[in-house]
Amino acid sequence: MDTYERENISADVLIIGGGIAGLAAALSVKEINPDLDILIVEKQTAGYSGKACRGGGVLQYFDLHKIKPEQFVEYHVHNIGCYLGDQDLLFKYVSMNNHMLDKLVEWGAKLPKRADGSYAVIPTGPMTAMIGVDLDITIKLRRTAEKTGVRFLDKVAVSDLLTTDNSIAGATGYSIIDGTFYTFNAKSVILATGSQNYRIGPMWGSGRGDGIAAAYRAGAEMRNPEFGNFAQLVRVKSHREVVFGENYMYNQLGEHITKNFRSGPEPDISSTAIAEWFTQMSMAKGPIVLKPEESGGNSIYTIWDRPYGEPFWKINEQWADKADGDDWEVCPLFIGEQSPVKVGHDMQTTIPGLYAIGDTSYCGSALAGAVPAPPGRNRGSGILNAVFSGIMCAQSAADNASNAPLPPVDKNQVEECFTSAFTPLWRDSGCDAKDVIRYIQKAVGPMERSVYLSDHRIATAMKYVEKAKELSVSMKANNFHELLACHEANAMVLSAEMQFRAADMRIESRGWFLREDYPEMDNKNWLKWIIVKKEGDTMKLGTEDVPYEKWPVKPQF
Amino acid sequence: MIDTKHRIIFNSENCIGCKLCYKACFVDVIRWDEEKKQPVFQYVEDCEHCFWCEVLCKKNCIKIIPDFESEKLLQTFDRYL
Repeated sequence: MDTYERENISADVLIIGGGIAGLAAALSVKEINPDLDILIVEKQTAGYSGKACRGGGVLQYFDLHKIKPEQFVEYHVHNIGCYLGDQDLLFKYVSMNNHMLDKLVEWGAKLPKRADGSYAVIPTGPMTAMIGVDLDITIKLRRTAEKTGVRFLDKVAVSDLLTTDNSIAGATGYSIIDGTFYTFNAKSVILATGSQNYRIGPMWGSGRGDGIAAAYRAGAEMRNPEFGNFAQLVRVKSHREVVFGENYMYNQLGEHITKNFRSGPEPDISSTAIAEWFTQMSMAKGPIVLKPEESGGNSIYTIWDRPYGEPFWKINEQWADKADGDDWEVCPLFIGEQSPVKVGHDMQTTIPGLYAIGDTSYCGSALAGAVPAPPGRNRGSGILNAVFSGIMCAQSAADNASNAPLPPVDKNQVEECFTSAFTPLWRDSGCDAKDVIRYIQKAVGPMERSVYLSDHRIATAMKYVEKAKELSVSMKANNFHELLACHEANAMVLSAEMQFRAADMRIESRGWFLREDYPEMDNKNWLKWIIVKKEGDTMKLGTEDVPYEKWPVKPQF
Repeated sequence: MIDTKHRIIFNSENCIGCKLCYKACFVDVIRWDEEKKQPVFQYVEDCEHCFWCEVLCKKNCIKIIPDFESEKLLQTFDRYL
C-alpha cells in the first residue's frame, strides 16, 4: 500500500496557499522577524493562483481626507453588514487603507498613477472609490518574498492539519504530480486557501474549500457559513458577469423591474435583485434582459494603464462579445464565496497557532457581517481584505513562531492522514469525484435553493447534499489529479452541509441572506452568529450572541 | 465548472519551453513533459478558459477555443438547464 515517496519538512511558519493573502502574510511576518523560516505550500503555482490575478484588478479606496472611518462603518453596518459585523475590525480595515496601498507598492505591485503622482482613483459612491492594480500583483509579491528568503513548494496539495494537545503542529499533503507524501512540522500555520465556490463560476471563483474543510476536521470553529451564497448576474451566452447590471433589468413586458427591489442607489448587486429575477421568471415574465444604453458604460478594464492584465481582459472580452452578439439576456450564476473559518482580530482560529486569512475567513472574522466574502457588495475589498488579514495575523504568528520550539508531531495522526488522503487511489472501483460534485451543484446552483430561500427549498437542497455525502465515501481516483478532485469534492459536501443547515436555522432575512418565508430582519431573536463545530463525527450547530452593545452603531428594535 | 468542452490547440514547433503556460494553469489542466521540455494538455475537460496560457505564450503556440454552451448555468428554468 505504502509505495509513495515521503518527505518531512519543518518551518517556523507554514503558509498554505500562495495567492495574495498568503503572500501578504509571508512578507508581513518577514518584516517583523527576518530570521523566521517561512514556507508557502501551494497546490498549483504560487503567484499564479488565487483570484487576485484573474479578476478585475481593483482595490477599494477610502479618501480619508473626505470621510472618517467611523462614517463608513456606520454606513456599512446599516446598509450591508446589518449588525452582524465586528465594528472594531471594520474600523481598523478602513483606517489602514493607505497603509495597505503603500505596502502593496513596497512589495512590488503596480498601482497606476496620474501625471501628478497621485493614485488614479475612480469614485464608486459617496463613501468609496477604487484604484486599479495590474494583474501581475501576485507574481510581483512572490518575487519580493523570494528575495526575503521565503521558501516555496508548488504543486503540493495540503490535505489535513496536524495538532498536538489541541494546538497546531503542522500539516500533511501530497504532490499532485508524483504523489510524494509530505509531513510539515511548523510552529505557526496560516491558512490562505480561499473560499468555497463549488466549481461553478470560472476565473475568480476558484476556491474549492479545501482549507476550510481541513480546519473543520482539525476541530476549528466556523462562523457565518450561511453567508456563503454569493451570486452574480451574467449574460447567458458567454456567462461573463455584468457588474451593476441589476440597475437596468427589464422583463419581457418591457417593465423596468429594478424599481421593484431598489428605490435608490445601492453599492452593488443584492440578493433582492436575484429574488426579483426568480419571481419574474416564475411568473413567466422572463427572460430578463438588460438595456445596455442605460448602463452608462461599465467596463473597468480600460480606465487604467495596466499592460500585464490588458491582453487577458481583451481576449476574454473578444470571445464573450462574439458569443453574446446583441443578446442582453441575463441570469444569475452562483459563485458562493463561503469563508467561515472563525478567527479573532489577530486572525487566529480557535486552534492555537492556526491562523486563517483572506477569503478563508472573511465571514468567519465577522469583518463585514451579513454578506458573503469579497466582493461582498464592495468591489475591490477582496485584495485589500487579503492584505489586511495578512498584516493582522503577522505579529501573533511571528511571536508564536519566535518563542516556541517546534511542536512534536503525532506519528499515528500522520498515518491516519496518509490513509485518509490516499484511500480513493486504493479502491478497486467507485464513483468519480465529479458525480459527487454534480449533486452538490444541484443543491447550491439554482438561485431558489441558495440565495432566495425557503424551508421547503432548503430541504430539497439538503436531499442533494445527502446524496452527495452518500456517494462521497466511495470515490475512486485513478491518478493524483483525480485524487485532488476527490478531496475538493469532500470539502464541497462539508461546505454545502454547513451552509444549508445554518440557513435552515436562521429563520429571518438579514443583509444578503434572504428567505421568502421569513422576509423580515429579526433583531429581537437573531442578533446572533451561527457557529459550527465538529464533535466526534457529528456536525454541531450553535449560536453566539453578537456583542452589539459594545459597538457604536446600534440596531433598532 | 466540470466537464467543459473547451478546446486547446497547441503548436509544438515554436514552443521554447519557457514553462509559463504550465505555471499559469490554476486548474492542473497543463502538465510538463520534462524530456521534451514542452507542455502536455492532459486534463482539458477541466479547463476554465481563463486564457492565461495563451496570453503568456511569447511564441503564440497556444490557442483556446471556448465552448460556452458546455458550461452549466444550473438554473431550474428549462432554458438554462
